[in-house]
Amino acid sequence: MAQLIDAAGLSLPISRRGFLAGTGGLLAAATLAACAPGSGGQSAGTSYGLLLPGDVPAQWDRVRAAVNAKLKADLGFEFKPEFINWTNYGSQSLLKFTAQENFQTALSARWLNIAQLIESGALQPLDDALASGKYTNLTATVDQSAFDANRWPDGSVYGVPAVNSAARIHHLIARGDLADKHAPGGIETFDQLEKFWYDVVQKEGLPGYVNRNSPFDVLGAPTGALYAQGWETPDLLPLYFSSDSLLFVPAKDAATTGSADAVPFWEHEPYLESLHRVRKYYEDGIINADRLNADPATLKALFDGGGAATCWGISDGGDTSSHLDLLEKAVPGAGLVSLLPFRDGLSAKPNQTFQADNLVVVNAGAANADAAMQLLDWVSIKENHDLLQYGEEGTDWKAVGDDAYEPIGDYANFPGFALSWRIPLERTYSRMTESEATWFDWSKKYENFTLDPFASFIPDLAAIETEHAQITAAVTEFGNPLFAGAVPVEEGLDKLKKAVDQAGLAKVQEELNKQADAYLSSK
Amino acid sequence: MEPPEHDTTSPLRLRTGGGETDTARQTPAKAKAPRSWRGRDYGLVILAAPAVILLVIFSYGPMAGLVVAFQDFNVADGVFGSPWAGFKNFEFFFTSGNAGRIMWNTLFLNVLFLAATLGAGVVLALMLNEIRGRVTKRFFQSVIFVPYFVSPIVVSIFLQAFLAGPGGRGGLVNDFLGMFALPELSWYTEPGPWPWILTVVKVWQLGGYMSVIFLAAITSIPEEVYEAGVIDGASRAQMAFRITVPLLKPTAAILLVLGVGRIFYGDFGTIYAIVGDNGTLFATTDVIDTYVFRALRTFGDFGTTAAIGLFQSVVGFVLVVIATLVQRRYARETSIL
Repeated sequence: MAQLIDAAGLSLPISRRGFLAGTGGLLAAATLAACAPGSGGQSAGTSYGLLLPGDVPAQWDRVRAAVNAKLKADLGFEFKPEFINWTNYGSQSLLKFTAQENFQTALSARWLNIAQLIESGALQPLDDALASGKYTNLTATVDQSAFDANRWPDGSVYGVPAVNSAARIHHLIARGDLADKHAPGGIETFDQLEKFWYDVVQKEGLPGYVNRNSPFDVLGAPTGALYAQGWETPDLLPLYFSSDSLLFVPAKDAATTGSADAVPFWEHEPYLESLHRVRKYYEDGIINADRLNADPATLKALFDGGGAATCWGISDGGDTSSHLDLLEKAVPGAGLVSLLPFRDGLSAKPNQTFQADNLVVVNAGAANADAAMQLLDWVSIKENHDLLQYGEEGTDWKAVGDDAYEPIGDYANFPGFALSWRIPLERTYSRMTESEATWFDWSKKYENFTLDPFASFIPDLAAIETEHAQITAAVTEFGNPLFAGAVPVEEGLDKLKKAVDQAGLAKVQEELNKQADAYLSSK
Repeated sequence: MEPPEHDTTSPLRLRTGGGETDTARQTPAKAKAPRSWRGRDYGLVILAAPAVILLVIFSYGPMAGLVVAFQDFNVADGVFGSPWAGFKNFEFFFTSGNAGRIMWNTLFLNVLFLAATLGAGVVLALMLNEIRGRVTKRFFQSVIFVPYFVSPIVVSIFLQAFLAGPGGRGGLVNDFLGMFALPELSWYTEPGPWPWILTVVKVWQLGGYMSVIFLAAITSIPEEVYEAGVIDGASRAQMAFRITVPLLKPTAAILLVLGVGRIFYGDFGTIYAIVGDNGTLFATTDVIDTYVFRALRTFGDFGTTAAIGLFQSVVGFVLVVIATLVQRRYARETSIL
């Protein structure tokens, strides 16, 4: 048969050695090709990378092309953002700094890894650039007080605050239709809110409040959805080396005595009461029982599908745009209302540090730090900001008045908080509910807040790194179940106290108080 | 049952004989003469080159990064510029009070997983082997193999549906318990059952995969051995347990040694996807890999995590050596080395 095929010219005689050499050569070529820089690399010269958290927005390629066309015409270069999943953003961005990848900007903050990056000299101080007068659009749209509030203890500014309000207040988003039904007189106090939750659980069979686990839900900073005292007197901001570690409560008179005298959170009576309250909510079915496990997207889908009475919100203008359309699809006739049940209503003046939740930092190893600042300045121009944030006008959105927008396309969810959020430039969603509009406007005004005595206090954990790491591990294991209401309070607290004591609580507390006292005396 | 001598030995003799015949085909002069490099087969070298290069680049090259375990790692200075810190990075793990529990969990869970998946693989392979219909056999083989391709994230969602419904209350298992007036269990806050729940998940995931490996080994068992069994009047069960199972020992031994080599590696993908940061379950589910990942994600400290990773690798290597030596000592014929 083989001879017949050979005779017909359908087969080429290949020696064994030739076959091996050929196959090996092909594999070698494939290996080299795989090792070569791919299309994900930065193209030379005119395109700069930046790190953004989250998923790639729908229609991103089209909008990016439009942004790049304008960027190239205005500044002579293009940008090439890399989106990194939220779950891995902290570690991935750190790895990219470590690998000294050539990107220009990234999102960072105290709750991410900014302390480590600054300590390592991986971030570019921005003071000289900001004072140079070259970036007037940026300095005109970010209040100087916002820069000052985010000054590092060494006196430098390492990031541009990407915020759209003076302060972000943790609060609740409620189903308006259920609120009308079960609380027709409105929900203006925490007691009314609690009654509403119990009514919904008993009469509708729905959980009152759903959220993933967070200490701030329970202990407040200064407000928390489940922290009753925070809505009465929102004047306490806990101190911490990192927000996922142990929270300490400073003395109320620290500013006048000059002594922080910070104690672990369980020694503060309202916090202890809140732990008991949350445990009761867990047992009574008021809160979701899967706070320790649930994925945020699952919980959002549960609320958006009409499966809960309230969910978590923060005053960044996203309550309505995040939920209303989906909720209306699932539950025709449903509505939304933003709830901030302050005892003093709009007259409340919660304590704030004004430290930004999100900072855009410039990579010290960036190929062109000037270009990074130029980009930050460029997105501070309204036309450019709108293009990036909302997409192409007429295709993705249309203006409603001067400061609102109506989405008409699929482009959404650009993470402006990692690049382009500027308070004076932000448009509000045209369908924003009246309650959200009221509180969002309120949150934009610095005068509605009280500057906390520890406003720009950022403790340095260099002296207690190992103890801090071990305490954080203990909080994850024994503290989080407490905050979720999943374990009896006394039993859970005993375990937590034992673990943090063993991990070096005394040393960490002493170090925190030493640094806090030094901060107070420096003021 | 004593199989006839000629039936049990002849296949081995035939294979050995074949090998000898191959060797004998080479001319004595060629076999004895030392071959110069020039005379060697460059084709083979080129064929091996990509794999060797990949191995060096991706397996041996990164080992240089282990120095981070002994450094006070600095993001800007990088791997080779950071200052030395001696054994400080090892302190975090070994002084945390968690090291003993985490190592125990890692070993205990992996032993459970290894034993359960190997056992399930053998049993499933025996069962598949007994199916007569070719199409039916292929169908069931495919069905039990499918879970191997299911993402751990999807598995975790399945499990949540089984053990806790929307909002973390209810779930199919609790509904089932309710049918018998039994109290609901808050599965995600009870650490006790989790080693067994995870084992069930692993068997579901890997049982089919293992069975395919064992089934392949079964098909290589010479038909004559079974014919001898039939002649001796052995039942199907006797042939399964007296012929098939003993002849699967070499395959099981290889899988066992490979498994022991990874026994200090928790099954990160599955465990983390299911347990996540749920501290209430750490008592029985926290393994070295999940601990390292959490430490890295929380602290961003490459030095500490590299130190734990190095410890894990060293212990894993020692265990492989021990397992191989034990195997050579007590089951030399099935040893892979």
